This record gives sequence, structure tokens and C-alpha cells, in this order.
Amino acid sequence: MEELDPLIHAQARLRIMSTLAAIDADSSMSFPRLQEMLDMTAGNLSTHLRKLEDGAYVLVTKTHRGRTPVTYLELTTLGRRAFEDYMTGLRAMLGGASGTGTS
Amino acid sequence: MEPTDGSDALDPAAMLALQERQASRVDDIFTRPTIAIVYIWGVAWTVGFLALWSASDENPWFTTPPAVAGWLFGILMVGGIVSSSIIGSRVSRGIQGAQQVQGTMYGIAWAIGCTAAAVFGGALFAAGMAPALAAIFYPAIYSLVVGLLYLAGGAVWRDRLMYGMGIWIIVVGMAAPFFGSPGNALIMAIAGGGGFLVYATFLEATRRRRAHRSAA
Repeated sequence: MEELDPLIHAQARLRIMSTLAAIDADSSMSFPRLQEMLDMTAGNLSTHLRKLEDGAYVLVTKTHRGRTPVTYLELTTLGRRAFEDYMTGLRAMLGGASGTGTS
Repeated sequence: MEPTDGSDALDPAAMLALQERQASRVDDIFTRPTIAIVYIWGVAWTVGFLALWSASDENPWFTTPPAVAGWLFGILMVGGIVSSSIIGSRVSRGIQGAQQVQGTMYGIAWAIGCTAAAVFGGALFAAGMAPALAAIFYPAIYSLVVGLLYLAGGAVWRDRLMYGMGIWIIVVGMAAPFFGSPGNALIMAIAGGGGFLVYATFLEATRRRRAHRSAA
């Protein structure tokens, strides 16, 4: 049996990947909105995002809205594919049962 | 369970459950406001058009003074527009890209459609449209605008149910004028407002079923 992608196989990072996968491929989400959807502390979220960014699964774009800096996050093509592979792998481990969740 | 920074993994079944819970939570964040908007319009149309219908002597149970009915209807419509545009604009807050552009353009389409209907009505008034005719014209033109926007939304998001709702609103809106005034208001209240309430209830039931499944 294949190993599950260790970069995604952690509670916080799986939830982050799942949330970012819920928006369209060419869209990104601001850090505060992502934080609100995950209910994680800013520090913890940043730590995990950095790991995902290092693995090129998440693209981080820093921009300004007026004078306030805003950070936008989105899945890279690689990240989106890795998330889909992870979910496929996870379901395969569980005997292919249950097909809901990502759609 | 110990508080954790989320770096650990659980067994596969628990991880799948965790992902499903999060997916359902995100889904809720996006769908709940939409359902609220449909409920708001369901109540606004049902109460507003019932009040207009009750301003005549057609209602065997009670009569609303015409001025009260007119004001109530106006307040409900304006309240519906204000609340749904606030709720609608908050859904895609913090999201950038094609998805957000699509949502914004769709929101603006509502404003354009409703304004155009009001301007058209104004022009007809200026051309001598009698109040009795206006009572038939306005609900019909708004139903057409709302119905077409539902069709557009259904097409954009490939949502068959929304598309079907668009067809229903147009059918109701175009059938109501044949009942004359104030009969058309009763049709609008029951089939139009009632239609929105049924649609909202169905969406809410679907959402709950999905949430329940992922929590199990």
C-alpha cells in the first residue's frame, strides 16, 4: 500500500488543503477569511502554510489593499493534484467505501 | 483529546471524517447566506402580496387599509433588496479571482435588472398607465427580471434546481396578470412567495442532510 503524502497527512494541513480546494482553481483566499473558515490561530495557520508553501502546494501572494497588507493563498496546480491524490489514496485505504466530501 | 497544533495525523478513517467535516463546514459558509436570501424573499413576497391583495374586498377574512398595504409592500421590497445585497456581497469576501468577479457581475446584474424594471414602469406611467394597470404590470415585470436572473444563475453555476426555480417564477409571473387585479397579487403571494419558501426549505433540508452525513 502506498504511503499517504506526509505534507498533507496532518490534521491542520489536510483541513487547509480541503478549504483551499473548495474555491475555483483560478481564485485565491485572503489569510483572515481562511483563518475564519478553519478556526485556527494565526500563528498556527502561518506555520502550516509555510510548510505547504515550501512544498509548492500553496502559492502565497502578498499585496496591499489601500495601506493594509493582505496575504492571499491559493493551491498551485501541483497542490490541487496532490490533494486529489491524497483523497483517492485515503479512500482506497478504507476499501474505496464512501465517495463524498470533496465534490 | 489533547489540544494540538494539528501537526499530527489520525488513522485514515478519522482523517477522512475530518476532511468531510471541514468540506461541509466550508460548504455551509457558502450556501447558508444564499438560503437566507431565498427565505427573505419568500417572506417578503408572501406577506407583501397578501397585504396588497387584502387591500381590496377580495379577502373574506380581513382588509388592509390600502395605504398600509402599499407602505408595507414597499418596505418589504426595499428591505429585501438591502438585506440580500449585504448578505450576498459578504459571501465572497476575502476571495479574489474569477469566482469573485463572477459573483460581483451577477450581483450587479440584479441591480441593473431591477432598476431597468422601475425605469420602464416610470416611462409607462408618464405615457398614461393607469394605477389599475400598474398593479398588473409591476409584479409581472419583476417576476420576469427575477426569473431570468435565476435562469442566468442556474446556467452559470450549472444549478438545475435554480434554473427550474427561474422557470417557475416566470410561469407564475406571466400567469398572474390573467387573473386581473387584485387576483394577481394572491397568485404572486401563494405561488411566487410560497415557491421561494418551498425552494429555501428544500435547500436547507439538503444542506442539513449533507452536514449530518459528514458529522456522522
